[in-house]
Amino acid sequence: MDNSIKVENLVKIFGKGETKVEVINGANFEVKKGELVALIAPSGAGKTTLLMMIGCVETPTSGKIYLGDEKVYDNKWLIKDTTKIRRDKIGFIFQAPNLVPFLNVIENVTLLSVTKGISKENANKKAMELFTYFDIAEKANFMPSELSGGQQQRVAIARALATEPEIILADEPTAALDKTRSIDVVKMLKKIAVEQNVAVIMVTHDEDMLPLCDRILQIKDKKVINKKIDKII
Amino acid sequence: MNLAYKDIKHTLGKFLITAMGVGMLLGVVLIMIGVYRGMIYDAKVLVNDINPDLWVVQEDKMGPFAESSKIHRDLKNYLKSVEGVDKTAAYTFQTIEFPLKTKFTKAMIVGYDVFGEITPINPKRLIKGRNINKSHYEIVVTDKMRYKIGDKIKLLNDIYTVVGITHGTVDSGGNPIVYMSLSDANKIQFNYTNPRIRNDRARGIKANRDSDLVNTIVVKLKKGYLSDLVAKNIKKEFNKNVFTQKDELFFLSRHVIEKSSKQIGSFTVILIIVSTIIIGLIIYTMTLEKMKEIAIMKLIGIPNSKIVNMILQETVVLGVLAFISGNIFSHLIYNKFPKRVLLDLNDAEILFVIVLVASILSSLIGIYKVIKVNPQEAIGG
Ligand SMILES: Nc1ncnc2c1ncn2[C@@H]1O[C@H](COP(=O)(O)OP(=O)(O)O)[C@@H](O)[C@H]1O
Ligand SMILES: [Mg+2]
Repeated sequence: MDNSIKVENLVKIFGKGETKVEVINGANFEVKKGELVALIAPSGAGKTTLLMMIGCVETPTSGKIYLGDEKVYDNKWLIKDTTKIRRDKIGFIFQAPNLVPFLNVIENVTLLSVTKGISKENANKKAMELFTYFDIAEKANFMPSELSGGQQQRVAIARALATEPEIILADEPTAALDKTRSIDVVKMLKKIAVEQNVAVIMVTHDEDMLPLCDRILQIKDKKVINKKIDKII
Repeated sequence: MNLAYKDIKHTLGKFLITAMGVGMLLGVVLIMIGVYRGMIYDAKVLVNDINPDLWVVQEDKMGPFAESSKIHRDLKNYLKSVEGVDKTAAYTFQTIEFPLKTKFTKAMIVGYDVFGEITPINPKRLIKGRNINKSHYEIVVTDKMRYKIGDKIKLLNDIYTVVGITHGTVDSGGNPIVYMSLSDANKIQFNYTNPRIRNDRARGIKANRDSDLVNTIVVKLKKGYLSDLVAKNIKKEFNKNVFTQKDELFFLSRHVIEKSSKQIGSFTVILIIVSTIIIGLIIYTMTLEKMKEIAIMKLIGIPNSKIVNMILQETVVLGVLAFISGNIFSHLIYNKFPKRVLLDLNDAEILFVIVLVASILSSLIGIYKVIKVNPQEAIGG
């Protein structure tokens, strides 16, 4: 199976009655392994909500979600422990680094691997490889608060990659970075997608990043549509 | 990697201050329980020091402490005829305003036959000097009165010499105890408390021979005799009220609990409840403060069990540290109090269990709330 993410007739409605907010109403799309897909839409259109549903954090109202060859949602969660799905399949990157403040850099990155039962040596080795790649190897034993924002974000990306997930969900990962750094990060995500055969969905507001992506998904009229890259530029 | 350890290390100062603060609160509670225990202990000091088998008092009276009792001193000789009676002694008890160096204090005068068979002075408490060995003008006082051996004290028109000093001797109200001979005590009682008789005498009216009356006769039994049985015989034969040592201790603790410890006791209970709630709230807030970190961990896929473990471990460590510092705190200050504070390890352990259970409960409520929250909202994504 080529698809890493598949969504069918996905609906998300917040609240009931008067205060009802329909965010997504019938989304259908797929993301293949090795693809870096940009997700664009105005603020408040439901990008984060969509990512969180794919990440099994937010419960959809109805529809179907497949992750890899596993159907995880079909009008209800088909798995009991949604954190396990994240642990096994998904790497999250947020706009803010969201590092655990009481763990140092390498502990932040290895926490999940160690929890999954990977030996400390192997987890550390993998983390150091990522740090070298991200040019933060000398910060491995620093506390997050001792790093700059850009460095923290690179740690956060390393954390998302450390467990070698099949899927990376990145919610505005470059919003806090300058242009050069942003381009670096997106290129890196593309490289990872290709080299490790990972499906990456990246929410972005930065049009300069779009040419670096394979495809664009746009939320429009509460549905998800495909956009050609050149049409946007 | 142990998350609790990492988190504590990261916020060590705050964690230790919280533990110490909770510890001091526990310390205050321990002191308060100690005050309560001290009052009950103090109430029994005199009765425990005399430690007879039986207390013979006036008919229909709950004396000698709960109710006043008058009984003839010669009864101590007649009681000897009862089977099983080994030793007997007559005592008077009276509370008077007793002079200290610069002021007066309420003191309990214990009058006893200084050549008698049962001395009321516990040799373990006699820290300086000796027992009284003259039938007049010698007294034994307690160290809190700040007299020295050889000091002269004027009571009425007589001068008394301090021959012994005891430690920790108080009556059920916490007043210091002064020991003197039965005849001296009678003289003081007569002059302090009987202005009417004094007036009568001054006017030439002959008073009752009050000096022959005492408050109680205590009895020690020969080996092998049961207190209850001998008590029954004495009751029947002499028409007096007789209490066993066990009864007397029970009356005293009940009396003191009803009189003043009840107040302290209720206050202690309220203090325990209030501190437990405060400690629970502290732990609860501590847990909620970790909302964001927990949300991040949940988002990246850390299992709930690991998060719950972290919080519970921190709670237990905090509880243990607080318990230790609370005990240190209470032991540092307990002897600075004017009255006896009895710190009991057993109380501390029970309090520890109560506080730990409350802490774990409140952290569980906190954890429940934190775990339930939508992680996406918690991190503000
Ligand atoms: N928990 C919630 N309860 C109610 N409405 C929500 C909730 N979360 C998001 N929304 C609403 O859903 C819409 C989409 O939000 P979001 O997914 O954060 O948008 P985006 O990420 O595209 O800016 C917004 O209108 C927001 O107010
Ligand atoms: Mg968003």
